[in-house]
Amino acid sequence: MATTTASVSISSNDLQPGNRLSINATSTLMKTGLTTGLELMDMGKGHLTTATAADALIESSALAGDHDSANYFYLCNNATDDTFHILVAINATDVGRLNAGEWMFIPYAQADAGAEINITASGGTCPYEYAIFKSASTLAAATA
Amino acid sequence: MALIPTLSIKDSTSFSDAINFSVTDSLTVTSPASSLSTIIAATTGANSIIVPAAATGTYIFVRHTGTTNGTTTTSAVVLVENTDDTQFANLKPGEWMFLPHLSGSLGVQVQAASAVQVEYAYWTI
Repeated sequence: MATTTASVSISSNDLQPGNRLSINATSTLMKTGLTTGLELMDMGKGHLTTATAADALIESSALAGDHDSANYFYLCNNATDDTFHILVAINATDVGRLNAGEWMFIPYAQADAGAEINITASGGTCPYEYAIFKSASTLAAATA
Repeated sequence: MALIPTLSIKDSTSFSDAINFSVTDSLTVTSPASSLSTIIAATTGANSIIVPAAATGTYIFVRHTGTTNGTTTTSAVVLVENTDDTQFANLKPGEWMFLPHLSGSLGVQVQAASAVQVEYAYWTI
């Protein structure tokens, strides 16, 4: 069985006086349900320019059978200029802003055909890298 | 005050080339902040606000504990929403998320079809 694990550690030496912060969590990424591992991964990198208002990093499947499935999303803004940001929206809902060097990891809901992940550069061209882990994706019918 | 989050993703069984990468960062944060806390997600998100409105955004960590109260297991899914009730993520038992949240000046809330204990922390950007 596919076994993909995602782990996070969050630490700080100076956030809490007299008490070092240390949060650790690990989860095994599963398809909808709790027993079957993921099988699909899309991974890459690119440069996001400010030329367009928003770009779809991934579009939701048009097939209803692929909806309400488990999907996981990692995105990192590799810009080194701290005035360059990436704005992130899912299904037209603003969810976050990645400053230079920052990353995010969330399970997201491919709830319907409009549930795409949109990213927008602000301040300047942002190099980025991403990985999307999906549990379902039906191949589209051939057109030629 | 510095916050250091590290993400590691590994998989050596799904593909012929193993996945193994890690990314870290050092974040400057300020108050208000909430260290690790728990809440029982209610059926109405507005009753389970975990991050108050913040115009500058917050770094948030949210984890589904897999239980209703720290003891009794549950498979109910937790919906993670902005405080205008728009959902942007869902957490199954044991899953977690970390992101720099910014959506206007909205906060973050959680809800579930039945009681789920959720662990969370946030730090203001």
